[in-house]
Amino acid sequence: MVDADRLMARVRERDVTAFEAVYDSSHRLVYGIAFKMLGDQAAAEDLAQAVFLKIWTSPEAFGGGNFGAWIARVTRNRALDMLRSRAARPESEIADDVPLAGSLDETVFARLDGERVRSALATLPAEQRTPIELGFFGGLTHDEIARQSDLPLGTVKTRIRAGLKKLRVALEGSPV
Amino acid sequence: MTVHDDTRFDSIAVLALGALPPAESRELLQHIAECERCRKEYDEMRGAVDALALSAELTPSEFGGAQCERLRGRVMDAVRASVATSAVQPAGNVVDLAAKRRAAPAWFNYAAAAAIVLFASFAGWEALTLRSENGANQRQIALLQAQLEAQTREANGARAQLELESSRLADMIAPGAARYAVQNGVVVRSGGRILIALRHLPALPKGRTYQAWTLRRGAKTVTPSITFTPDAGGLALVELPERAGDVAAVAVSVEPEGGSKQPTSKPNFVRSLG
Repeated sequence: MVDADRLMARVRERDVTAFEAVYDSSHRLVYGIAFKMLGDQAAAEDLAQAVFLKIWTSPEAFGGGNFGAWIARVTRNRALDMLRSRAARPESEIADDVPLAGSLDETVFARLDGERVRSALATLPAEQRTPIELGFFGGLTHDEIARQSDLPLGTVKTRIRAGLKKLRVALEGSPV
Repeated sequence: MTVHDDTRFDSIAVLALGALPPAESRELLQHIAECERCRKEYDEMRGAVDALALSAELTPSEFGGAQCERLRGRVMDAVRASVATSAVQPAGNVVDLAAKRRAAPAWFNYAAAAAIVLFASFAGWEALTLRSENGANQRQIALLQAQLEAQTREANGARAQLELESSRLADMIAPGAARYAVQNGVVVRSGGRILIALRHLPALPKGRTYQAWTLRRGAKTVTPSITFTPDAGGLALVELPERAGDVAAVAVSVEPEGGSKQPTSKPNFVRSLG
């Protein structure tokens, strides 16, 4: 994400060119999350359009920090809204405006991209990776994951934690 | 003050992932607000979860070509339309559906913006006021924060709906949109979508609903599409789930609640999109 703070400052001044640059640098992330969560091309396009129009109409919602992490969270929350409207799922989102403090070191995050995270994720055993992906991209609660995996709830929770810890270590040590 | 307990760490990971049910989330957030060790654990887990989203990023070979261009076109058309709409003052005193469409995005945006501003002001004031209290009030702060988060989630749901409506309206007024006049309204093909805007629709008796129909290209019989109900003023703005490129004609009729497999009444209109 190239100089997102400066671009978003220009978007706040209704600069369409800056918005295009924001779009071009993040549309594959936004659409990718939407498609992975919704599993439907048309719905993913609708969601991506809604997310970018939200950025255009309310650019002040981005309060600084890592733009990629923020837009990913906004996209996931909107996708969860759609999943819930399809299947009356309980709410379990992370608020858009929760500060990114505690995130991976900013310099570590800045050099991450989809390929690096996928590589790190691939180092996790399937028993840890699967519940993490079901919770994050599937919008399932831990109870639902346990039922779907036919595992005790405690086991699911332990595997999620172990997987996230391992993922964090793998990302912090990922090559530049 | 709740006592620290390492056994909460597993639940904290689930909370960071966003997979903990609301009641448990509220309880755990309340504890995290008071427990430094658990807060540190939560922050670490959140870092990993934030990065997790990046794994869904597609490469140019996975998402490119015509689909990528179509989405870009939809978004940029809508943005440029919003710029044009905000720059042009409506002229004359002719009240028509097009004027209503131009006015509607602004209404939606103003309403959404006002709601967000009011909510944010309230949330900010609450947080500021409570944080100035002494440590004995920490528990109450955590509880209020959980309540505010619940309200935020509700607001997000409403906001998502408003955004969807706004994006539909933006598509309707996009420069490249094809408009087809029908009785009491218009059918619009824009950005891969088919939208129907109708006004003065009579309220239907209980057990009856409006239903849209589509005729696929090359097909000889119509396919059932969505059912819909106009608002109290008889206005309906609906988006058909079908892809615009697949549809040769659109119709609307009145059907039994839940919809029909084949039309059972004379259509309100049938419109070719040729």
